[in-house]
Amino acid sequence: MSTAAARYVGQSVKRLEDPRLVTGHGRYVDDIMLPGMLHVAFGRSDLARATITHLDTSAAEALDGVHAVFTGADLNSHNDSLRASLHPPESPAPPANMLADGDVRFVGDPYVMVVAESRYIAEDALELVDVEFEPLDPVVDYETAAESDNHVHPELGGNLAHDLPVPNPAQQEVFENAAHIITETWHQHRQTNVPMETRGIVASWQPHAGVMEVWASTQSPHEMQLVGARVLGIGEHKMVVHFGDVGGGFGQKMFLGREDMAVLVAAKLLASPVKWIEDRRENLLASNHARIEQMTVSMAVDEDGNFLAADLDQLEDDGAYPLGGPATPGAMATMLYPGPYRMGPVSWRARTVYTNTCGRGAYRGPWQMESVAREQMIDRVAREIGIDPLELRRRNVLKPEDLPYQVSTGLFYETTISPEQTLEQAAEMIGYDDFRAEQAKAREEGRYLGLGMALYIEPTSMGMGPLGTESAMLRVEVDGHVNVFMGTGSHGQSLETTIAQLVADELGVRPDDVTLHQGHGSGYGFGTGGSRSAVIAGSAARAAASGVREKVVAIAAHLMEASADDLEVADGVISVKGTPAASMTMAQVAATAYQNSDALPPGTEAGLEHTARYKAPPTTHSNACHICTCEIDPGTGKVTLLRYVVSEDCGVLINPMVVDGQIAGGVVQGIGGVLYEHCVYDESGNPLASTFLDYLVPTAAEVPDLETGHVVVPSDTPGGHKGTGEGGAIGAPPAVFNAVADALAPFGVYPNRQPLDPNAVLSLIASASDS
Amino acid sequence: MADVVGLLGEHGDDAKPLAGGQSLVPMLAMRLTRFEHIVDLNKVEELFGVTADNGGVRIGAMTRQAAVETDATVAERVPLLHLATPHIGHFQIRNRGTIGGSVAHADPASEYPAVMLALDGVAEVASASGTREVPAAEFFESTFMTAVAPDELLTALRFPAWEQPAGFAFDEIARRSGDFALAGVAVGIGTDGGGRINRAAVGMLGVGPTPLRASSVEAALTGLAVADADPAEIGRLAADDMNPIGDVHASADYRRRAGSTLVGRVLADALSQLTQEANGG
Amino acid sequence: MVADQISLSMTINGRARRGVAEPRLTLADFLREQAQCTGVHLGCEHGVCGSCTVLMDGEAVRSCLLFAVQADGADITTVEGLAPDEETLHPVQEAFRDCHGLQCGFCTPGFIVSVTAFLEANPDPSDEEIRHGIAGNLCRCTGYQGIVAATRQAAAAMKGSGQS
Ligand SMILES: Cc1cc2nc3c(=O)[nH]c(=O)nc-3n(C[C@H](O)[C@H](O)[C@H](O)COP(=O)(O)OP(=O)(O)OC[C@H]3O[C@@H](n4cnc5c(N)ncnc54)[C@H](O)[C@@H]3O)c2cc1C
Ligand code: FES
Ligand code: FES
Repeated sequence: MSTAAARYVGQSVKRLEDPRLVTGHGRYVDDIMLPGMLHVAFGRSDLARATITHLDTSAAEALDGVHAVFTGADLNSHNDSLRASLHPPESPAPPANMLADGDVRFVGDPYVMVVAESRYIAEDALELVDVEFEPLDPVVDYETAAESDNHVHPELGGNLAHDLPVPNPAQQEVFENAAHIITETWHQHRQTNVPMETRGIVASWQPHAGVMEVWASTQSPHEMQLVGARVLGIGEHKMVVHFGDVGGGFGQKMFLGREDMAVLVAAKLLASPVKWIEDRRENLLASNHARIEQMTVSMAVDEDGNFLAADLDQLEDDGAYPLGGPATPGAMATMLYPGPYRMGPVSWRARTVYTNTCGRGAYRGPWQMESVAREQMIDRVAREIGIDPLELRRRNVLKPEDLPYQVSTGLFYETTISPEQTLEQAAEMIGYDDFRAEQAKAREEGRYLGLGMALYIEPTSMGMGPLGTESAMLRVEVDGHVNVFMGTGSHGQSLETTIAQLVADELGVRPDDVTLHQGHGSGYGFGTGGSRSAVIAGSAARAAASGVREKVVAIAAHLMEASADDLEVADGVISVKGTPAASMTMAQVAATAYQNSDALPPGTEAGLEHTARYKAPPTTHSNACHICTCEIDPGTGKVTLLRYVVSEDCGVLINPMVVDGQIAGGVVQGIGGVLYEHCVYDESGNPLASTFLDYLVPTAAEVPDLETGHVVVPSDTPGGHKGTGEGGAIGAPPAVFNAVADALAPFGVYPNRQPLDPNAVLSLIASASDS
Repeated sequence: MADVVGLLGEHGDDAKPLAGGQSLVPMLAMRLTRFEHIVDLNKVEELFGVTADNGGVRIGAMTRQAAVETDATVAERVPLLHLATPHIGHFQIRNRGTIGGSVAHADPASEYPAVMLALDGVAEVASASGTREVPAAEFFESTFMTAVAPDELLTALRFPAWEQPAGFAFDEIARRSGDFALAGVAVGIGTDGGGRINRAAVGMLGVGPTPLRASSVEAALTGLAVADADPAEIGRLAADDMNPIGDVHASADYRRRAGSTLVGRVLADALSQLTQEANGG
Repeated sequence: MVADQISLSMTINGRARRGVAEPRLTLADFLREQAQCTGVHLGCEHGVCGSCTVLMDGEAVRSCLLFAVQADGADITTVEGLAPDEETLHPVQEAFRDCHGLQCGFCTPGFIVSVTAFLEANPDPSDEEIRHGIAGNLCRCTGYQGIVAATRQAAAAMKGSGQS
């Protein structure tokens, strides 16, 4: 039998999701309007830590149009755990309260929930809730949280959520004799995902049927199903999760929030459809924050700039109620620190602490601190020892002959990574030497240009635990159209198109002939996140298509009295090679399979469908190099990005347009993080960036044109793909940071924390001229 | 209009005029403020439009910022308004936002109040008991507070003519395109026709509780020959005229430092127009 | 707290519509809930993100910052009203699709309406003008690369077809 030809994979096929989305006919959760639907507004704490001394909801309940007012005491007994699938049941976690009960633990902590005929009335009712608080000393500074006697969660007896020390005696030995040991503490700051569509859920309980029907803005419909069923104490089959359009997530919608759970419980108690659409203020203050972390790095380097060993100490703020459970991204960040270099032995320690702030959650590249700390450190080392940063990377980068490579921290790199190639391609694209010449000339004129780069390896498509597999149920319908049911949760990643492209090639149809269905009816899968869909979901779709193709060819061969080996299938037509006139359509094969099964080859099962589940290898690594240039205005501290290039290797590209789009989105989030965005808290734990005028998501005017280059080394997974969703947000922060640091070099200052907003840059310059 | 003024007189503090709604509605939506009565000015025709006025212009309070931006009379007679307008938010905001709303709202980081102050503009104010005029210098009382009482309506702004040869320039530092300014400056410099400065008007935004005039800068410029003015050095004097506070976007110190650098740059821009003029450019 | 309902009428995407609204109901909520124009998206409800942008009497405005009663008598166009028929996209919509100017699609209706109005006023914009012209709309997915390219393409297409 012939193998599938790549007709569509590799092409920038126009997206199948677009016609509805560009005309306003997408269906997002807020577009679900059910008869009798009620609306939720949450009352949230204005204090970071306080005891609730008085709470009277009677006036709110009495308001016309209000159906119910719930407090923690009403709801929390309906849930014994906030546990997400990735969070091991035995590990300690904050108490399982959907609504604060007795005390509040961060500004934005929901303590009361109004359910009313409209959101307007629900908010009116909140103003009638009579509540009094007795303020307590909050834990705001995560650097000192572990030592504080004030405990964010008194139940846990302390603020340290995790402490994982992994010393390596070999590292200590190397340090004793190294030519240079350079130490710096790198800080990231509090940012948040900011999907343009906030969180939201509609839940509708069917009494007696015992079914909860849910429409949710989620990246993972199966997580919603499993955890929702557990919260409600119903069977998973009774939890029906519809998946529509989702307006972005970037990690925020991977897990259920406490509010989602509260809505599920309320909908069941009231037996009415209930909708909650988070408003932007809630999203900025109480969904999840991320990147509140620091890593102290010491690196040993020899005379020639060869990296010898590293010692890492990572500390991260989990906030009060981390979304998805108290995770240990710091452990990943430290483990991944060696990146694409020969780094020698590494010792590390990773700690996470609770504070009275908004909980931490996954944000695109949740452990990208490894690249931030490493790439910033490398530029720092380069400056200290007087070697050009590109040259220093060239000396230490893993080369093809080094592969496969066992990293001292336990990672293992397959032969299909290509860091050196992407480094060279990016250097070529930016015109490295020419830029250095231009920079030198500009400095003579009193202008401050800088260049920053970042090279990284990204573990994608993790093959462990609940993350390890995805399934695809593929069915060719009677009319020849292909329906694919998958456990993914595409929310911008274009899976309706890329899965269709994969299936089109593998099965021999056109992408237009394929429709992807997610949510209810699909087989278990972890959803879309962690750069996992191309490899894991893609391979499942491919396997399902290939199973059906075999059957299509066997049936067609039988019907056409031809040999299966002589048949080819393309664009929905099965024909004899070299004799295109001898052909039949997919629809004819399908009609036979369902409606005339007696005509099938003997022993062939009726129907035309196949289910396949793909189990991923432990990791598939993609890699990239980002280089950007900037100019600093020394009078105002404003940073203007001049050029931005990315060279990346995500293996075989399914749809280059989509890959470039994923990179661009990630890069601009990274740029936003370093230069603009900041969830500022004051010392009392008040969040100060509660609107889009304070939390500054970059606009088109703040970002340069992006130039992308591709190195294609196919991975060993079935299609040769590697994951690509998060990379932009991993490479951009250190590249931008390094560019600014480079531009500031003539002042003799070196930043070690973000954001590098005009205020920060100007104070760095001022500190130079003051000293 | 009489109706509107009547309503404001009747309900006093419980009523609030609604102009473009680009500041008032977000505050209502976030439930930061509420009023029993909202008096919509959008259908009050007398409040719209630009008219030539004695060499200057008179602009009705409800004139949209977008209309100010494209109005030829404004561009010719009050170039600073024309230069400042594109810095206000985005075109969708300017399609609704009004010059009267901007001035009445009195956000210290707003463009129009600083321009009005620099150019000695005059506000026309009406109430049930009559009309009065308030010069810009008395108009801005403190952050978000003006001389317009709750029962009064701002009806128009007048910008007097500049008789002498002049250079005008405006610029600001904002975090993103369209954001409120961290610091901004509006400059008008007039000469006696012989290259000597006889009028300097410098209004600053974002560097105090209200828009401010850089009086030290104005004093230093007045009487100087254009060719002798060192804008960077004179700009530094502006730091003394500022009274900034810090917020999430920038510290007070930042506003003072970067703001005075900006003053120097904008002075240079305005002066260069006069130099070009002198050179017959 | 149930306020008086005010009846109003407006033209929405070429069709005359009537409705009732309490004074505080925003135009955005009215369009979404009573006129089924769910392409009007709400990303912030305080005027910054631009997702709710519609044309009112031909001008791009934030529908979250208007009360429905203020649009009484007005001619409103939402993203649903741009395409000439079910088979054809408006040139701006076509360009967004061609240039990958959208990912999750949530910001897209607001962008498309804004770009349509922007090109109306500036039929031949430079890249710099495009970037500032569309700065009143936020997108979290695309990094704006595809949106800038789409605006460029739409400008060319609309000039070619005399649409602007
Ligand atoms: C995203 C965004 C960005 C913005 N960026 C800027 C910016 O960079 N610079 C800037 O200056 N502004 C900016 N604004 C604010 C905008 O310019 C407002 O339109 C303006 O400040 C207020 O004008 P308005 O007509 O919308 O007034 P409204 O919001 O209707 O009213 C504002 C206040 O003034 C009062 N008021 C209005 N008119 C009168 C009157 N005639 N008499 C008495 N009182 C009156 C109202 O009662 C209210 O208290 C921005 C707004 C948004 C949403
Ligand atoms: S929802 Fe109207 S501007 Fe954001
Ligand atoms: S496409 Fe998702 S916000 Fe723009």
